[in-house]
Amino acid sequence: MRVRLVRWSGLLPLLGFFVLLGIGWLLFGDFIVEQTSEEASTELLGTQVDVASLHIRETQSAVDIGGLEIADPFNPMRNLIEARGIRLALEPEPLLEKKLVIRHLSLDDLRFGTARRKAARPVKGGGFAPQTLRALNEWREQFDVPLLSLTPIDTIKAIVLDPSQLSTVSAAEALRTRADSTKQALETQWAAIDITGVVDSANAIAKRLEGVTTTQLGLDGTRRAVADVQRAIALVDGTEKQVKGLADGVQRGVSGLAAGVASVNEARQRDYAFVRGLMKLPSLEGPAIGGALFGQVSIDRFQRAVYWAELAQKYLPPGLKPQSQSGPKRLRMDGTTVRFPLEKHWPPFLLQAGDLSFSLASGVAKGSYALEVRNVTTTPALLGRPTTFTASRSAPGTSLPLIDVRGLLDHTRATPRDQVRAALARVPLPAFDLPGLPFRVEPGQGSMRFDFTLVGRDVDARWNIRSTEVHWPVDSSRARTLTDMESLVGRVLEGLGTLEVEARLIGPLAHPRLSVRSNLDDAVAARLRSLLGEAVAAGERMARAKVDSVVNAQVQPVLAQVGTITAEAERRVPAAQGQLDQVKALLEDRLKTLTVGLGGQFKLPGLP
Amino acid sequence: MLALLKLLQALVKALHSEGTPGQVAAGMALGAALGLTPLINVHNVLIFALILVLNVSFGGAMLGWLFFTPFGFMLDPLFDVIGRKLLLESPSLTPLWTAWYNTPGAPYTNFNNTVVLGSFVSWMLLALPIFILARIGVTRYRETIGERVRQSKFYKAITASKAYNMYRLFRPE
Repeated sequence: MRVRLVRWSGLLPLLGFFVLLGIGWLLFGDFIVEQTSEEASTELLGTQVDVASLHIRETQSAVDIGGLEIADPFNPMRNLIEARGIRLALEPEPLLEKKLVIRHLSLDDLRFGTARRKAARPVKGGGFAPQTLRALNEWREQFDVPLLSLTPIDTIKAIVLDPSQLSTVSAAEALRTRADSTKQALETQWAAIDITGVVDSANAIAKRLEGVTTTQLGLDGTRRAVADVQRAIALVDGTEKQVKGLADGVQRGVSGLAAGVASVNEARQRDYAFVRGLMKLPSLEGPAIGGALFGQVSIDRFQRAVYWAELAQKYLPPGLKPQSQSGPKRLRMDGTTVRFPLEKHWPPFLLQAGDLSFSLASGVAKGSYALEVRNVTTTPALLGRPTTFTASRSAPGTSLPLIDVRGLLDHTRATPRDQVRAALARVPLPAFDLPGLPFRVEPGQGSMRFDFTLVGRDVDARWNIRSTEVHWPVDSSRARTLTDMESLVGRVLEGLGTLEVEARLIGPLAHPRLSVRSNLDDAVAARLRSLLGEAVAAGERMARAKVDSVVNAQVQPVLAQVGTITAEAERRVPAAQGQLDQVKALLEDRLKTLTVGLGGQFKLPGLP
Repeated sequence: MLALLKLLQALVKALHSEGTPGQVAAGMALGAALGLTPLINVHNVLIFALILVLNVSFGGAMLGWLFFTPFGFMLDPLFDVIGRKLLLESPSLTPLWTAWYNTPGAPYTNFNNTVVLGSFVSWMLLALPIFILARIGVTRYRETIGERVRQSKFYKAITASKAYNMYRLFRPE
């Protein structure tokens, strides 16, 4: 019996299947896309994203999103952005290629920094954003911002130091090893050069020919004598070269040992600082006080900017190479999804333009707002234009707050460049705690400026706040009986109605340098110095003595050994060179005497 | 519950009288795609359409799906490696993937996911061996224990259910 290939009766259920799919899409399509968008954007941004509703308008190729909340990744009780409604007008053609090109985005009732009813869930897993967040928490640990320690000096405990805690000990040990190997190397090189033998042999020839004339030697004898002298001179020249090579080696060895000594001294300074820390001695230097008071709050600001810049560099990579990302969440393994951008085609994601402008008629935020974002794409090289965004509020002729935020993410070239400039004036500045002290800073209304530039992996950022109506209330949640020194600082603060802080972060992103200055630095330092100067100086002397008592026994012999090696090496080389020069001059003199008699038959070495 | 019962009936009947061993084996080979590759993908809609329209055993396809689903989960790491090799580590194939990725409709197949591509390619390679082995297996089954199973109370109870009639719509002709 011949079996037919096609079962035509199967078409009916197949049709039914497609009808069911269509009905399923109509009933659950919005819900599925809403859930998927929430999940994907949460993973993408590394913070909880909630979408209250989503409606796809297939006929208009548009999407309406209601109630968008993006939690602040650094504060789970706050929203970074909250919008009541968002409308995305999509380009239909790229959708056929599963690409999302948003022709225009409009928002209603956008708010920043709103409080959340429920704390945002931390985003777990191995996605890029959570990894970056974790990495940045470790990154901030590198900034050594000690608290302003105001422990009374009379409570300083006796410190018992373990030598293994001190870096000077290990630096001295390393220097000793280096000194041994340098000495060994120099001895080996020295032993390979037979200076005594060469000098003795040359002297013997010179002595043999002393007062001898060509007449006495005859022609053959003179020729042999000249040849002997020339060989001896060549030997001396070779030995001189060896000595010169040794001199270079000595120079390198001595420089290495000098660097080792310098590193021992640096380690000692670090150990002094370490012991100072153990003794909780307050720093009386202005910059240290600025760092102690405003270092943490500055790092908070920079850390946020670095987080978003890192995400931008990851999700908006330069070039047209295939881009990998984690696959969609499913019961089966997610795998990796790869995008293959192609010139003159749509990028996988593009927001061509997003605009928002609205006015608030009352309240502290009264004014006209304008937000604008252009050219946000996952493949900047395809678009060839940088992403730009601006946010501004203007109320000319009034005393209302001014906001001007401008950003540019230029990933169109091999080295990405991200730049954000924010200038806010006459705005209520957020309050913060003074670390280690039971005081709170309430800057009131003031101005803030934030400049952030990341070129490749080099960062240059500044954060500056200024207020003329600052208050320093005692923080009731951390209230306790103030020590004398804390009371003193409190009195200094009370007298200050102006606050100016400037923090700067500069250098390679992995290990940038942080510096913080404020108008408090010198005021607090001067008052502390007048009260504590003598006691702190005594404490510092004690700290130094503690370190010295532990490390001197190990450092001094090593330093002495280094001195001996250096002196010996520096003595031997000139001595050898002197001997060789002397004997060479003698030989050249003999040669001259011999060749005069031969009428220029022999050419003197070194003469043209 | 009804769906499960129907499925069970389909499987039991598929092994016995419905269709030739070749039809059952072809159904199993197609059903293996549903089990080996991630289910919610466009290519599986096409596979499902083929199962319905081609004159293969629907029960065989369901059996193939059920049988190969655990293997799909187990072999996902291997599929991921295969997909990675093809998508990311074979520069000669990059122009092909780039062209597909920028072709309307093609990206919806999720071919650019390592697990989807790896599992689909694996299924393509395994489809013929699955067909041949299944065909031999069904033939041997019918020649040996098939008749005894047919006489069992379990088989009669299953096939007596009215829900079974639904299945008859898709039986091979």
